[in-house]
Order: sequence, then structure tokens, then C-alpha cells
Amino acid sequence: MFRHNALRYAVLVALSLAALFQALTAEYFGLEILTEILILAVLVLALDMVAGFGGQVSLCHGALMGVGAYVYALVSAKAGIAPPVAMASAVAVTGVIAWVIGAICSRSHGIYFIMATLAFGQMAYAYVFEAPVFGGDDGLSGISRLDLSLFGIDLDDSRSFALFCLAVAGAVYGASVMTLQSGLGRSLTGVMHNEQRMRALGLTVWRVKADVFGLSGMIAGLAGVLAAQHVMYISPGLLSWTVSGEALVVVILGGLGTLVGPLIGAAAFVLLKHEISAWTDHWHLVVGVVLIAVVMSGANGIFGWAEARWGGWLERRMADATRKHEQEEVVSDA
Amino acid sequence: MLETRNLDKSFGAVHVTRDVSLKLERGERRVILGPNGAGKTTLFNQLVGELTPDSGSVHLAGEDVTALPVARRARRGLSRSYQKNTLFDGLTVEENLSLAAAVHTGNASQLWSDSFTKPEVHEIVAEVAEQVNLMPYIHARVSEISYGVRRQLEVGVALATRPLVLLMDEPTSGVGPEMSKGFHDLLNNLPRDLTLLIIEHDMDLAFDVADTITVLNYGEVVFDGVPEAARNSKLLKEIYLGSWEDA
Repeated sequence: MFRHNALRYAVLVALSLAALFQALTAEYFGLEILTEILILAVLVLALDMVAGFGGQVSLCHGALMGVGAYVYALVSAKAGIAPPVAMASAVAVTGVIAWVIGAICSRSHGIYFIMATLAFGQMAYAYVFEAPVFGGDDGLSGISRLDLSLFGIDLDDSRSFALFCLAVAGAVYGASVMTLQSGLGRSLTGVMHNEQRMRALGLTVWRVKADVFGLSGMIAGLAGVLAAQHVMYISPGLLSWTVSGEALVVVILGGLGTLVGPLIGAAAFVLLKHEISAWTDHWHLVVGVVLIAVVMSGANGIFGWAEARWGGWLERRMADATRKHEQEEVVSDA
Repeated sequence: MLETRNLDKSFGAVHVTRDVSLKLERGERRVILGPNGAGKTTLFNQLVGELTPDSGSVHLAGEDVTALPVARRARRGLSRSYQKNTLFDGLTVEENLSLAAAVHTGNASQLWSDSFTKPEVHEIVAEVAEQVNLMPYIHARVSEISYGVRRQLEVGVALATRPLVLLMDEPTSGVGPEMSKGFHDLLNNLPRDLTLLIIEHDMDLAFDVADTITVLNYGEVVFDGVPEAARNSKLLKEIYLGSWEDA
């Protein structure tokens, strides 16, 4: 079950303050990096919801993000419909597609689930790559950002857009927590722990899996909309399986099934990428080494490692307090 | 309340259930006896829908449920506990019971509210925890409680769906004599209108709890009657009770 604890709140507050500070003080390049982190954070929150709390390790979340981006681009840039409607359409269409994928894949587990979602992702990639309406290999350009001038906000300004992405990431985190603490989210966790028993209790397991996968797809679609608005151009590469793979790396790096961990993972991944790519083109090698080190350490990612240390420290503190209390009682009895 | 008609099941050349017909009245407590490999658990799996019979039918409260999947049978009031603990290991006792109660109360798929905070879920959890003596462990994780308490929780999770019929597969499997005695009280204290079908090897418990006893041998019903008749059955002694009587 998803539970907040003091450490999670503390990390969440620290990350939010750091992001806010960066958004308010950074120059253009720093704002671009922050925006990249925040969009990736939205995507990995979507992935952690199904992989970390439902055992559904998806390799199609990159493609779902791409679907969201393309639907937004088609509806807003090609059809000329207002961006808010285009955003809602993109999120809804991605949700429906994800729900169908979740329903079809709900009976498969482990490696078979991974392969099935990979196949769906690659089908989407191939279709978008080949269909002329999506611009083929050239992609689509001329994508506009949301117009918030009514509120005196110009999202074409990098700082405003970074703050907007921060607000969206915060809202998505809240929505993810609400989902995981809802009846649906509780049932999903029950299914991950013991699918057979949940079925024997009367739960329609495939429906729960499909519903949460659909919700997760909506969030991935939203990440795609942000990505499209950020760069104002999209290409089929957004749907590539490598995007899904990177998202999975980020979730594992940060801490699977913690929600907070993937946020750390997103920041670590993007910062590592930019810092190391300044020195060498082979930044993937370094990220790979870091990932191997994290996995081999046996901890559940960076945050999992920190949480385990914190838990151990708390236990020792409680044991010390109990011992001290017992000693005081012995002295007072004497 | 629960009825099987000519239930038959084979795995290849092995005939595991042969023409089994049973009829349990509402509130009846029936114990199924039989040596290892007699087909008791296979029969349970067909009753709840985890296995599909080759022929025959299963009826619950007068309705033919043979074609229904596991979850839909459970929602109609057919619940089971397992011979091996099938719990939610990373969760607390309360959370285990809450998951079951949430499904029963229709809160398990709701997105806008936390099923665990619903008063109707709390009510069931508190009542079941009291029934199966789990109150002292309610906030403990499954990994922190003893094997015997886990057996109680196994029954509790099944009870938290408020079933019409409860199938219990060796509830005292692996527990010591002291704990087994506790199970006598636990079973005898369950509501009288709950229909119970129990697979059990503990003869004392079987004769203490059962209104009727059914004996399976090689997948076939070889005895069906009251406990006293079972005690005096020569056939039963030959195939099953000899070792018990000798002991």
C-alpha cells in the first residue's frame, strides 16, 4: 500500500523547493533542463503507478506519451482547435488507448506483459512513422503552447513554461497519490500482492488493471502534450521503445513503487545526461554503470536506499528510547 | 444452498472427480474426509471455478453457476480459504481484511474515495477480527504474525466477503494441538446460517463441527451421512479411519 512518511514528505518538499528556486532564478539553459526533468517526472509517475504498485512493467509508456503529443499536435496545429480542447482530447485519447492495451495485456504477467506492451509500443511507432498524416520521419512542427494570457501568463516565456510544468507535475503527483489511496488503487496493490486471492474474493481483476493502466496512460499522454508544447515540434522518435526503456531506467534508478523515488530518478537522469554529455558523447555508458551499481546494491533505487537507512536509524532510536525508559523504571523502582 | 450434480473431472488418464453429487442445505456444516489424493481440493477448485469440470454442474442458491468465473461466483456468495496460506504478505492484518471487505461492499473499484476508510468496511473488519480472534494482531504485518495466526487470518479474509457458503481447505493444516482447539471454538462460533464445507484431516475437529460427513476416495463419494454413521462405517474405517481408531 502507498504510504507517506516523514522522509517522503521531506524529500517531496525539498524537491519542490529546489525546482521552484531553479524556475525562479535559472537562465534559459537551466530552465530548459528543469522543464525536461519535470516532463520526464510526469511520465515516470505514470509508469511507477502501474509498474510499482501493480506489477505491470510497461514498455509502451514512451509510445503513449508520443500518442498524447501527436494527438495534441494534430488537433491544435492541423485542425486549428484551441489548445485546451486539444490537450483534453490528447489526454482522453491516450487514456482510451492505454485502457484497451491494459485490458488486452491484463492476463499476461512478467516477461510476457513486458513483451506485449513492447509490441503495442512498436506498432504505434511504426504506424506513426509510416502514416503521412503524422508527417512521417519529418514529424510535425508549428505546435503552439497553451494560451494563458487571460491570467496574465505568457507560456512562450521559458520561465513561465517551467513553472507551468512544475504545477502540472505537482498536480499529477497529487492525482497519483489519490488514485493509489482510492479503492481502485488499494485493489491494484492487492492484485500485485496476490492476484489469485483477489479474484477469489470477487474482484474483476482485469478491469482493475485496465482502469489503472488507462489512468496511467492519461498521465503519459499529458507528459506527451507537455513535451510537444516544450519543443513545439515532434517526431516519431518520441514513440520509440528507447523512450519507454529510459523511463523504466529512471523509475528503477529512483526507487520503484515509491512515487517520490522516480522524481529523484528523473532529476538524476537528466542532470547526469547533461553533465556527462558535456564531457563525452557516451553518456549512456556512465548512466548504465550507475544503474548497474544501484541494482547490484540490492536497494530499491536511490530513494529506496535512503529510506532503508532512515528506517534503520528510526528503529535504533526507538530501541535506545525503550532501553533508556526501562533503565529509568529500574532506578525508580530501586 | 450449494449443490453439485454428477461432477466429473479427469487430468489425462487420471480420473480425479467421479460423478460427485452433493447437496448442502442452508446453515449445514459438512466435512469432507478422504485420504491424500482423494480429489478433495480438486473438488473445491471446481466448486469455486478455479477448475472447469468435464461434465456435471454446480448450483449456488438454486442458480447454475457452472459457467461463471471465480470472481462472479465469489460475488454471489461463494468464498474459500486455502490449504496453503494465500494472504497479502506485505500488508497488515487489517489491510488484508479490508481488501476483502472492500470487494464485498462494492468499494474496491472506486476512484474517488478510499475504500479502507469506509464505515461499512470498518464494520466488517472489526466484526471478522473479533470472530476469528485477530484483534490483538490487527496492525501487525502478515510477515510478523505466527503461522497459526496466519491460518486464522486465512479464514478471516474469506469471511470478510460475508459469504453464503464458506469452503475451508484444511483450516488447521500445520497448526499445533493448542491452536487446533482454538479452531474448534472459532468454527463453532461462526453464524449458524453460514453454510460450511470443510476439508479436514483433524478427526476430532471434523466430528465436533460437522452436521454431515462426506468421504471421497479416488474422486468418488463413498460415504455421505451423519458423524455417528461415519464412526460406525466399516468401509470408512477400511479406507480412512483405521489409523485414527488405532491411535
